Amino acid sequence: MSENKRVVVVPCSGIGKTYGTVGREAAYELVETLRPDSSEVVALSLLVLGDADTRARVQAAPAITVDGCKLACASKMVTESGGRVAYEANVLDTFRRHRQLKPKGIAELNPEGQELARQMAEELAEAADEILREGEA
Amino acid sequence: MSEFLEATVDKFTFKVATDRLYSDDHLWLRMADGLVSIGLTDYLQQSSGDVAFAEPEAEGTQLAAGDILANIETMKTMLDIPSPLSGVIKTVNPRLEDEPELVNQDPYGEGWLVQLEATDWEAVQKNLLDPQSYYERMKAEAEEEARKL
Repeated sequence: MSENKRVVVVPCSGIGKTYGTVGREAAYELVETLRPDSSEVVALSLLVLGDADTRARVQAAPAITVDGCKLACASKMVTESGGRVAYEANVLDTFRRHRQLKPKGIAELNPEGQELARQMAEELAEAADEILREGEA
Repeated sequence: MSEFLEATVDKFTFKVATDRLYSDDHLWLRMADGLVSIGLTDYLQQSSGDVAFAEPEAEGTQLAAGDILANIETMKTMLDIPSPLSGVIKTVNPRLEDEPELVNQDPYGEGWLVQLEATDWEAVQKNLLDPQSYYERMKAEAEEEARKL
């Protein structure tokens, strides 16, 4: 895959929140393990600060947002930064599909939370593939 | 269309619908056509967080006051919702299985939990709060919680 065929992944920065942690872990799993050549993480905090380089990265590639709650800060900030949200993921929706994986913990997720993050990362990987396929069409 | 009393505490605004009665457990009750609809108040849904699963007891279940009416799992907590009255569950909100977020999005409308045939609605009403009384109680509780933060 060519270097410019990438998605940016913007996870919730809900520091101190279990579901925010699941979202961030899923994003890291995606970009570090599942799709390292076709995805990159963008820090939501930099978008909030209006960092020019970060805004440019978001504007240059389709975005996958990963939100930890209904406030949907990641999705809103991508849009406000001039980016295009190609896929919106929410940890709560993933949890509804995997009820046995009740996440707990913040700094360190319990095993169920870690598995939920892996499951979510798989969903994000499928979404990333689909976005990039559509981009090539 | 319901009208609301509104209390703003810290950064949160809580609504109280004026067309129904309330229990001490932050549930609303409204009688219509012989059935009592029951749901969570705006205060309870906001303070409990996003609902992941909302599971009322099955239709036909006979409940005594205080029996568990529904189990609700949110991002923050598990809630065992006690029935504020005795009776038989006639209808469970069919949308909650696929759309539990309705409890958050529209607590006084589409997010209702059950409709119940009350054993003695006339007697139960005497133990419920009118909207203004509930509003004051809820506001005091919300302010107390805010002070703890």
